Amino acid sequence: MSIRTLTVAGSRRVTLAELGEGPPLLYLHDFIDVHGATTDWLPVHERLAERFHVIAPAFAGCAGSDEDEDAVGPDDAVFHVLEVLDAFGVESIPVVGVGIGGWIAAELAVRERRLVERLVLVGASGLYLPNEPIGDIFFDVQPRNGTDMSDLRRMLFASDASELAHAWIPDGRLALEREVLRYEMFRFAGRIGFRPPYLYDRQLVRRLARFDRPVLVLWGERDRFVSAAHAQAYADGFPDARLWMFAGAGHAVHLECADEVADVIRTFLDSAPQAAAPSRPKHNA
Amino acid sequence: MPPVALFCWHFMAYPYLPDDFDQRYESGWITVPNALWDRERSRGLYQEYIDQLVYGEELGFDGLVLNEHHQNIYGLMPAPNLIAAALTQRTHRAKIAIVGNLLPLRLNPLQVAEEYAMLDNMSAGRMICGFAVGGGQEAFNYDVPAPQSRTEFWEGVDLIQRAWTEPGPFRHEGRHYPLRYVNPWPLPLQRPHPPIWIPGALSIETMGEVAKRGHTFFLSSRSHGPATAAAGKRFAEAVEAAGDRYHPHRFGILISTFVAETDDEARRASAEGVWYFLRNCLKGHLRQHGRVMTFGAGMPTQSVRSWERYLQNTEPGAKMLGDVADWDELAAWGSIYLGSPATVRERLWNLIESARPGYILMQFHFGNMQAEVARKSMHLFATEVAPYLRERSAELYAREYPHAEALARA
Repeated sequence: MSIRTLTVAGSRRVTLAELGEGPPLLYLHDFIDVHGATTDWLPVHERLAERFHVIAPAFAGCAGSDEDEDAVGPDDAVFHVLEVLDAFGVESIPVVGVGIGGWIAAELAVRERRLVERLVLVGASGLYLPNEPIGDIFFDVQPRNGTDMSDLRRMLFASDASELAHAWIPDGRLALEREVLRYEMFRFAGRIGFRPPYLYDRQLVRRLARFDRPVLVLWGERDRFVSAAHAQAYADGFPDARLWMFAGAGHAVHLECADEVADVIRTFLDSAPQAAAPSRPKHNA
Repeated sequence: MPPVALFCWHFMAYPYLPDDFDQRYESGWITVPNALWDRERSRGLYQEYIDQLVYGEELGFDGLVLNEHHQNIYGLMPAPNLIAAALTQRTHRAKIAIVGNLLPLRLNPLQVAEEYAMLDNMSAGRMICGFAVGGGQEAFNYDVPAPQSRTEFWEGVDLIQRAWTEPGPFRHEGRHYPLRYVNPWPLPLQRPHPPIWIPGALSIETMGEVAKRGHTFFLSSRSHGPATAAAGKRFAEAVEAAGDRYHPHRFGILISTFVAETDDEARRASAEGVWYFLRNCLKGHLRQHGRVMTFGAGMPTQSVRSWERYLQNTEPGAKMLGDVADWDELAAWGSIYLGSPATVRERLWNLIESARPGYILMQFHFGNMQAEVARKSMHLFATEVAPYLRERSAELYAREYPHAEALARA
């Protein structure tokens, strides 16, 4: 894995991971993800990198990127990403965003619709839906009885019983380096999205109509952090969106169904633009 | 050089939880259902708690201490300034210390500057004005983003001090609280302004910030051992590094105490209140059982570096104060100095001698402790313990800090 530090906006350092050859693809990370929980690539990234040059900047404060003390909301994260893209000089690029990264990807797309060639959202926060609140991940990351992390596992994975969930969110403590990555990710997310609106932007839902390029919305049907109702709202809001729901998967669908997620994304990105048309939700099960 | 100042602190716990609270509820904070609030039994509760503080003045305590917590059963003072307002009219001599108003929870620090200035006038200049960031619970109670709260806090502290000392109107250009007109009426009575106290744990960053502004650092840790003396020493170094001469009245300590005729009687008489306090009031705060909401990744107030230091120095899930199994374990925590006058005298003197605090802020009432039990302990302390501590600390401080005579304020 190639990790380097990019300096943007004159002086701010951004940790950047890159993998693969081919056309560039921007990847924006979530909690259980590269930069959010590990300094390694996940299998889903490796599959994407067989076809694309995956560019994954760490958000401000994460994984060695400088913290942005002035940041107060999603716009600051959007500009963070724009400054990274400026450094690459790209004019148009497909964007994949997971969770919080999906939120920022959607904000980016509705603002810079010529820059975002195609958009893929996976379990993205960002929308306000009445009676479908985004889960309180800040509350659930606090262990029960000192070491029990089952609430966070249940929020981010389909089942607390899964080995994958325990591997990523074990009881007790993580290794120091990963514990610090987690803290930095929560600090970033807290800075831009803790104060209400909680991890969403009330205006975003009506702005989705601006982005008329193809959108793929991927979701774990059992996502308890950002419920599947949000997937439908994203799919309804974009003029040209398709929805792919993974039955039996949770918020961490990009880990739980890594190969299928990568394949669906690759198929979507490879398809000819004109083939894209509004479509009904598809289910893989 | 004045002796150590002895202050009486009341937390104002909710005392009417059901006996099976610990079995049935995860926390005494944030999510503790307020259906448990008993309106009828709580009639007169504030009156009794205020009366206990007034009794503290009668007994000769140098000050009365209040603090701010929200949505919890540990401390029923979401608005300590209201209690302070009552005390200004019921007391005449004792200092009134609020430690402190939680600045990031306020719409604007100017509001705090105004309220404190009112209280200083209403109390004829007896206010000690504390400011605090707020524990992790408050992030959830008021949806305050933890990563910003430190910078909001220090901007607020500096703005308030400036509002009290610089002729208004002036413009404040700040990251969090820009104001075109700062011009509070009234101004505080005390010149240049009331003493400012800032609580902190063991963070060197906080000590440095307090020291360079010339404020008083108050150690909010609930357990005392070698770390307390080390904290005092580190803060003294920070004061000297900021170009000031250190003296004990720049430093305060929170300690809980209970005094009875004998050690055995102290355990017997305090048991109900102390164990209610440890098991219920600390649940959600300083007790692993349940869910700690005071610090962690969910409320990332501390810098990444200080969180990393914390991780390196602690074991996951290690027992906290509220998890202690019995009296002996409790004693080992150095949190509640409990026993006969002789026992409490000795333990407090050891603390004074090693940590050199100018202020000791003492909790006498615990959880659901009966009023007369707390009052008796306060009385024994005031008559059997306090004189000894005052006399010996006056000697010690006069000898060790001869330069401080003119500096000390309390």
